[in-house]
Amino acid sequence: MMRWLYLLREAMTNLHVNRGNVLIGIVTTAFTLVCFGAFVLLYLNLKSVTGTLQGDVEVVVYLDPGASDQVASMVQKRLETEPATVTLTFVSQEQALREFSQQFPEESLLLEGMNANPLPASVIVNVSPRFLDTESLSAFAERVKQLPGVTHVAYSQDWVDTLTLVVSYFELGAVVIGMILAMATVTIIASTVRLSLHTRKEEIEILRLIGATGAFIAIPYVIEGTILGAVGGGLSLALLKGIFEFFRLELNASGWFAGVEHLLPIFPGRVSFLLVMTGMLLGCGSSVLSVFGLMKARQ
Amino acid sequence: MIQLFHVSKFYDRCVALDDVSFRIDKGECVILTGPSGAGKTTLLKVIFGAETPDAGQILVQNRNVARLRGGAIPYLRRTMGIVLQNFQLLPKKTVYDNVVLPLIIQGVKRREARERVMDVLKAVGMEHKQKIRTDVLSAGEQQRICIARAIVNSPILLLADEPTGNLDAELTVEIVELFKRIQTEGTTILLATHNRQVVEQMNGRVLQLQEGRVVSDEERPS
Repeated sequence: MMRWLYLLREAMTNLHVNRGNVLIGIVTTAFTLVCFGAFVLLYLNLKSVTGTLQGDVEVVVYLDPGASDQVASMVQKRLETEPATVTLTFVSQEQALREFSQQFPEESLLLEGMNANPLPASVIVNVSPRFLDTESLSAFAERVKQLPGVTHVAYSQDWVDTLTLVVSYFELGAVVIGMILAMATVTIIASTVRLSLHTRKEEIEILRLIGATGAFIAIPYVIEGTILGAVGGGLSLALLKGIFEFFRLELNASGWFAGVEHLLPIFPGRVSFLLVMTGMLLGCGSSVLSVFGLMKARQ
Repeated sequence: MIQLFHVSKFYDRCVALDDVSFRIDKGECVILTGPSGAGKTTLLKVIFGAETPDAGQILVQNRNVARLRGGAIPYLRRTMGIVLQNFQLLPKKTVYDNVVLPLIIQGVKRREARERVMDVLKAVGMEHKQKIRTDVLSAGEQQRICIARAIVNSPILLLADEPTGNLDAELTVEIVELFKRIQTEGTTILLATHNRQVVEQMNGRVLQLQEGRVVSDEERPS
């Protein structure tokens, strides 16, 4: 107990004595983690939107306006046998007109001048997630197009695919940028700890003389690096939270993401945990690297 | 206690120790003397594992120091007390904090550590200065604190390298008296000095080194 109290006190003394460099280390760690965190957040938000949209991909099968109820019923029966189909919803011509009028009240005036309802009846197919890849979807659409009474098959996969591609680029970017920033942080924290070691060189010699092991000498420096990393992580968390709150307000005001804002997690709790833990791990790892020689030295 | 067999040490092409062999028994006090550069400090360093000899073997309590790995050296040093000429105290810490350090390293409990520190501070006459920072103490006081720190864990062997090197004649007498008192309690002492005053005042055997070789080994009546 006395030993651990001593080691903790020594770590605090290191932080205090070396406070100028420690401050630089904290700010740099925070800055690099803000960049990394921002990238992770963008990636997570995009991934969440993409995942939700992918799950909602629907295939709309438009029927010939002149198709009889019998034909419509036959198309539905045929669609039910498709393995990709999860649920089917039949939208009659009247229902389509009602929905159009509700969604576009101004444009509905255009339809009033027409004698007949120009909107076709359709069957909306909710597709199983197993068949959401481009190939399966287009094969499914091709098969359905051949059915009698079907005029057109539409699905929204293309732009979801594009979004998925963007997300995968982000994933790669997050890994590359994360690694570069992690290396920068390790270098900075390691330098801070090395400076701390240098200023206490004589003290280390004395400790060796009276029988301190390399680990006993190294632990305060590892604690110092870990605290530095954790504080840097905490600071980056506060900064990111502020930036993203601001972003959320701007987003709501701009209306860019109207309708999908509920899909944006914005700032999930695990990112907070990830940032502080990454800071701590980077701090701990950097100090271990710096004091590694101490553990093995004979003198 | 300590046995050296044909120990040699070179720094580049300079000979620091040349085929040194001797034996020190438990409870013995040996004064290692000789001019500057004779190899006294190197000899102490190979005994406490700060230097590795280029040839020969060193047995300290039947452990071969020459073959010890880096990780085992701290445990060897915990069985020894080491006093150096340049005091080697932590300047921003109090007397108490300096003396208690070997006990903290060894994981001794707080209460026991306190009792032992107070005992040794009393033995070196410094118990009234326990809360004072060591950098405001006089040279003689600092050396007494070093000795207190060296004996606080009741070592079986006390190694001292020029312990009076930075002290005047009056303080030298004080420190020599302290070593004599420690010797009477049965601690084995190996003290390196080139100070004639110390050699004359201390009891025990005198080993003389010259250019890295033992040139005389004289037992004196106490």
